Amino acid sequence: MSTTSASLEPTAPADVPPGPRTPGRGAWARARRAALPFGSLVVFLVLWELLAASGTWSATLVPPPAAVWDAFLDVSTTHDGMRGYNGTTLVEHLGISLRRIALGAGIGIAAGVVFGLLMGTAGWLRSLFEPWITFLRTLPPLAYFSLLVIWLGIEEEPKVTLLAVAAFPPVAVSTTTAVTAVPKSLIEAARALGASRWGVIRDAVVPAALPETLTGVRLAVGVAYSSLVAAELVNGLPGIGGMVKDAANYNNTPVVLVGIIAIGVSGLVIDGLLLRLERVAVPWRGRA
Amino acid sequence: MPSSREIPGAPAGADTARAGSVRLDHVTHRYGRSGETFTAVGPVDLTVPAGEFLVLVGASGCGKSTLLRLIAGFERPTHGSVRVCGAEPRPGVTAGVVFQTPRLFPWRTVGGNIDLALRYARVERARWPERRAELLARVGLEGTGKRRVWEISGGQRQRVAIARALAAENPLLLLDEPFAALDALTRERLQEDLRRETDRTGRTAVFVTHSADEAVFLGSRVVVLTRSPGTVALDLPVPLPRGDVDAERLRACEEFAELRARVSHAVKAAAAA
Repeated sequence: MSTTSASLEPTAPADVPPGPRTPGRGAWARARRAALPFGSLVVFLVLWELLAASGTWSATLVPPPAAVWDAFLDVSTTHDGMRGYNGTTLVEHLGISLRRIALGAGIGIAAGVVFGLLMGTAGWLRSLFEPWITFLRTLPPLAYFSLLVIWLGIEEEPKVTLLAVAAFPPVAVSTTTAVTAVPKSLIEAARALGASRWGVIRDAVVPAALPETLTGVRLAVGVAYSSLVAAELVNGLPGIGGMVKDAANYNNTPVVLVGIIAIGVSGLVIDGLLLRLERVAVPWRGRA
Repeated sequence: MPSSREIPGAPAGADTARAGSVRLDHVTHRYGRSGETFTAVGPVDLTVPAGEFLVLVGASGCGKSTLLRLIAGFERPTHGSVRVCGAEPRPGVTAGVVFQTPRLFPWRTVGGNIDLALRYARVERARWPERRAELLARVGLEGTGKRRVWEISGGQRQRVAIARALAAENPLLLLDEPFAALDALTRERLQEDLRRETDRTGRTAVFVTHSADEAVFLGSRVVVLTRSPGTVALDLPVPLPRGDVDAERLRACEEFAELRARVSHAVKAAAAA
């Protein structure tokens, strides 16, 4: 073909790539997208302030936004010789908890991916493990936390284990689904190149299952996050969940709210990062 | 033509063991298990000598794709034997395969798809860039190696799929209606390129289509299959000139029209039977 490549140049209209996608929908739409969440936040703060000022409930139950802001400053700095909350600043509490999540969810996700791959490729393994994983998934983390404390004590082990156990099922389930849903056509395409069974898994099954697996990872991190306070119920200080639990014991509602907001905001940030990772790692999602 | 792979267990010297030759002996293939079986193909006896461009034609559901899958080694025949170069066919080893749709791996670039084929063909990594460029040039896609597969057109994707199937340089190329989903203009161009490519390399090809026009243009021999179970209804040599010929004049010549009419008639008769 090389001798006649000039005639093969894809110049005919039938053989040219599709044109670039249409540009954004304009500045107005973008401004509205940014303004709406911000506006709702402002409205929420105003309603909160009004509710607190109305005196319907005591300040212990519904502290005004300003009190929560003060609590935020208190737990973030050293004041009157007290460092943060219980000797640890908010950022440090958060950092310790994030480390627990990274470790626990990391272990759970790794195990979930391995189990998902095995269950997706071998039907009998799926029949063997699926009921157990479904059982585990329906259990609220608090249900097995006491057991973990009996077994593993009150140090890091039960907390990390709880987060791992909570993160495991969503990844295992989504990876299994993803692997079983890999198009047969791609598996055959790999075989047509001479791929062995292992080669097919490495070059077709794993990458094809990646988008949905990453969705499972995001889900798992979310579940681990929502189990954080449970994980830090016993001996959770320092730790953001432990801080919430401890402040609640003293009816310190502003600190409880600071802790909840910190958990929520950091969760949003992490989800945003995972979403970005997903976009970078699987740019073909929805395109092919 | 360099062959990068030894065909295991191929007896040397025997005529049917020549590089690229295909032999089907009493091949029958049934789908389904005990009780409800459906005979898709057979019995078929067919020998494709090395260097021949065989086109299998027939109406939808006549089992021509099944026959190709048997030759590719994706499936084993229920009865009879399939031999490629005298040995049991093995996917990716005995033949390169081009499917109806490109089936490119979207997580790899255009060049990355070729590289995967080169890796499985056991080509040394140091030679990949050179071989990749050469393969892309052969299908008229110079300089597209870094493109994403969703950034190129349908016709270009099928060209990449052909380049990928050529990478291993196996002596046999199997194509299952590869141009069916393309527009007429792109289809004709790809037909011309494929004809030239196989003539140049002397590669054996088995091509499946339902178009009499495509069959006569591409094939050096056309086999029309009856409706399921598919058996040979017509076995027709195509004595049209090959090599560097003017495709336009070839399509316009009287002999071409006559052969096309014969094939078309046979396909219709087979479908009605």
